[in-house]
Amino acid sequence: MTTQLDASERPIGAESRKLSKRASARPPLWKFPPSKKAGAPAKKSGVRPALKGLDKKDAPGAKPAAGGARGSALRLLRTSSFRFAMAYVVVFAIAVGVLGVYIYNATFGVASRQTDALINQEIEVLADVFAKDGAATLRRVVRDRAAWRDGGIYMLIAAPSGAVLAGNLSALPVESLSADDDFFNFSFERQRADPSGGADNIETRLGRGKIKRFRASPDAQTFFLVFVGRDVTDRERLLERTQRLIFRLALATVAVGLVIGLGFSRSLLRQVDAVNRTARAIRGGDLSKRIALTGAGDELEDLAVNLNSMLDQIERLMTGMREVSDNIAHDLRSPLTRIKARLSAAMKGDDREKEEALRLTLDETESMIATFNALLSIARIESGEGAGAMEAVDLVAIAQEMTELYEPAAQEAGFELVLDAAPSPPVKGSRALISQAIANLFDNALKYAVGGSKIEIRVRPSATAKNAVELEVADNGPGVPAEDREHVLQRFVRLETSRTTSGSGLGLSLVAAIARAHRASLTLDDAHPGADAAARGLLVTIRFPAL
Amino acid sequence: MRILVIEDDAEAAAYVAKGLREAGHVVDHAVDGQAGLNMASAGDYDAYIIDRMLPKLDGVSLLTRRREAGDETPALFLSALGEVDDRVTGFKAGGDDYLVKPYAFSELLARVEALGRRRAAPANVTTRYAVGDLEIDVITRTVRRAGKKIDLQPREFRLLEYLMRHAGQVVTRTMLLENVWEYHFDPQTNVIDVHISRLRSKIDKDFERPLLKTVRGAGYTIDDAA
Repeated sequence: MTTQLDASERPIGAESRKLSKRASARPPLWKFPPSKKAGAPAKKSGVRPALKGLDKKDAPGAKPAAGGARGSALRLLRTSSFRFAMAYVVVFAIAVGVLGVYIYNATFGVASRQTDALINQEIEVLADVFAKDGAATLRRVVRDRAAWRDGGIYMLIAAPSGAVLAGNLSALPVESLSADDDFFNFSFERQRADPSGGADNIETRLGRGKIKRFRASPDAQTFFLVFVGRDVTDRERLLERTQRLIFRLALATVAVGLVIGLGFSRSLLRQVDAVNRTARAIRGGDLSKRIALTGAGDELEDLAVNLNSMLDQIERLMTGMREVSDNIAHDLRSPLTRIKARLSAAMKGDDREKEEALRLTLDETESMIATFNALLSIARIESGEGAGAMEAVDLVAIAQEMTELYEPAAQEAGFELVLDAAPSPPVKGSRALISQAIANLFDNALKYAVGGSKIEIRVRPSATAKNAVELEVADNGPGVPAEDREHVLQRFVRLETSRTTSGSGLGLSLVAAIARAHRASLTLDDAHPGADAAARGLLVTIRFPAL
Repeated sequence: MRILVIEDDAEAAAYVAKGLREAGHVVDHAVDGQAGLNMASAGDYDAYIIDRMLPKLDGVSLLTRRREAGDETPALFLSALGEVDDRVTGFKAGGDDYLVKPYAFSELLARVEALGRRRAAPANVTTRYAVGDLEIDVITRTVRRAGKKIDLQPREFRLLEYLMRHAGQVVTRTMLLENVWEYHFDPQTNVIDVHISRLRSKIDKDFERPLLKTVRGAGYTIDDAA
């Protein structure tokens, strides 16, 4: 049984038209959701035909972004940036959903409750009329109200006969059968307000209503069914449109998030791939490879810069190690050869020769040990190891201590050791290494400043460079010719003129390594440029950057 | 002293053991870290000499385990790793001294005996030391020989104080540089010798009987022996 509203208030009891059959075959267009399930609409709407279409249309739109080789697509999905983007999308979609629920409650929920309240009120008024003035008046009132055309729907039916006494629906909606005394939603047909629609100007509309039994007395045989409803079509359509909008918004959010996430991941992967390629090349043996910089200045570029400087360090280290092994091979092989020859000869000699050979061998091994230790120290300092923690150190204090330590030895060797220290800011360094550098410079001066009489050590803020502290050690011996200065800083170099002196030839290269470890510059110069060739002296300047 | 030498280089160990026995000590030898740990747990030793790089269990782990087990026996690390960080690692593991290879045997002997002495007189905080008629007071920083006050520079005083704390033992140049100046490098020149001779001129020069003696090939000692 379907109902039909006659806009022109057809006579009560008018028969249903054939249209009603078609209408009854349709499923109810919309079931009003109970407000407690308010969160559900977006989910529910997915089964609606219109939205299914939307599903088909939009979902593929999001997929092409994941196209390309299957492996690389899989990698994209596994990247952390993609996962992050996805988490973001999920959170955002949930936020949109919550917003939808809120909007729903604040607008449609309120409107729906108002409708129900209005219907209850109407029923109360009608019950009042029935109780006070009886059935005839009720019938008249219902007829009057039905004629108002304000969206109100009324029916007054005599029971148990079923005769329609008044109202603007042709029959009770079929949904009323299962509704008992509660609110129910129904659909009905009505002529369009605008008749230009032609022959088929009947439209299906949505309503919401309630049926109440009116009895004259509790035990009366006959009673009246009063049906009061409201046309909620406009509201429902608006709701439907809003739901569709929110659903589309959510879908668009997900799609955009997906695309952005994939895009981010791709660009990230590209940069990470560059790092990986470089790492593979280096593992393959090409230590000179470096990661290409993008110039973006972002944290990935930072990472690349850091990795590159780490690779520089490793390469320097490897080169250093190679040099060390070459040097060891070169400089230790000759004394070893000498020892072997000497011992072989001594085996055949007498006791005195044996003892002499042993003594010489002992001396030689001692100098080899010194060489070896110096080499290891240089290698360790250059690798950044063995420096201990770099901390703020006072060069003046170290220079004072070292001067105090060496003063007696210098005096014994015929030198005057003079400290000239001006108050200087602290530098970042290692006390152990700096003291070792000073010790080496003093040893060097005591050994090579032949004919000299004075060793000066100076500490002062640099006059030429800003924020730098200079440590100088100067003697007035023969010095080092300008063309040899670069040379003496290398390993194992002893100038021809000093070949006869003992020593590893590593003293200055150790000082150079210590200077490098402190990012300090090391320069050699004449201490007394104007003096005789024999008294020009060597001036070693280490310029430390101040803290 | 009963000394446990944990060293995988058989020849070096034999050399060390021979030298220590000649100096009157009882020596046991373990060839790897595990054997060393077992022997250290079982035996009652006065000192350990532990190589840092050992098969099966490295020296630092070995000593860490002994220290965790409450073993307070003084230990000296032998190592080819000589830089500051390596020393610090060794000391953190509970090592009492550290000697870098290659070393002179006299240096090892002096250090091991110093460790044994430290254990023999534990926690006995003395502030006055005397050798023969030479006395020093660490608190008032005064030095007297035969009752006569001697003036020393602060560094000379520290040098003498270190020698007096180790009276009767051989103290090497490196030990002096490490403990009096707190430097860890091998000076190429005779810096320490000159300081010693200056000190000697103040405390021994005017007296008949020298107390501060040079031990040839090893270092110095201060004692009252004839």
